[in-house]
Amino acid sequence: MQRRSFLRGLGLVAAASAVITPSMVMAAEAPTGPNALTIEAALQAITGGKAVVVSPLVHLKAPEIAENGAVVPVTIEVDSPMTEDNYVKAIHVFATKNSNVRCADVMLTPANGAAMLATRVKLGTSQAVMALIETSKGEFLSASQNVKVTIGGCG
Amino acid sequence: METRKSLIKIKPKKYTTGDVVQVSFMVMHPMDTGMRKDKKTGKLIPAHYINEVNFTFNDTSFTTMKTWESLSTNPVFTINFKVPGPGELKVVYKDNQGEVNEKSKKIKPKG
Repeated sequence: MQRRSFLRGLGLVAAASAVITPSMVMAAEAPTGPNALTIEAALQAITGGKAVVVSPLVHLKAPEIAENGAVVPVTIEVDSPMTEDNYVKAIHVFATKNSNVRCADVMLTPANGAAMLATRVKLGTSQAVMALIETSKGEFLSASQNVKVTIGGCG
Repeated sequence: METRKSLIKIKPKKYTTGDVVQVSFMVMHPMDTGMRKDKKTGKLIPAHYINEVNFTFNDTSFTTMKTWESLSTNPVFTINFKVPGPGELKVVYKDNQGEVNEKSKKIKPKG
């Protein structure tokens, strides 16, 4: 019995390491790209050290499991009146573990009528997709969601 | 310079002045990251991605985007737009290799 359970445990460990290794290698290689930037540096550059609030006003829609990391649809909606004195100034989209975390910075105006952005991003590994919203009042709101990627999109 | 296939879609198809419509802009673009290797030659494919998208209506800009290589191949950009009246919607996009292209669509509100 002991020998059997020991062997089973060994098998599990082997399987686990086999699953983890490719993604680990990718994560280690990631920051060497031509436009490499970490999420901390990207946030610092935009907010200038101001507090970022995780807000229920920001709705980020992304699949929980993405079969193919090369095409992951992401939709961001923000509850905002979009009037001259209160509107969403910018929507920033980040993929937190890509070599270049920045995906898109979208500058909106009241002419948009409603704050929404839908696009498709590439994800190298399983990671969180994050949206940072800048309002005309100078507040920073955010939302994020984890996406599991079966096949990476950076190969 | 290559001509790129692109498309502007407006949802819903019938709208009147003052309606908020969804404007989708699609473009065929490789969006190469510069980290991928050519399978035949083994050389790195140079980075080639859209880095600026500008939406204008009657030559007044209402949405500008800065984008990077983390967007998917053949990207889609969907935003909202409040129709102020008839006119021309134009999307100008640039990439990091200096290509500048544009696509326009007539806005014709009914009623």
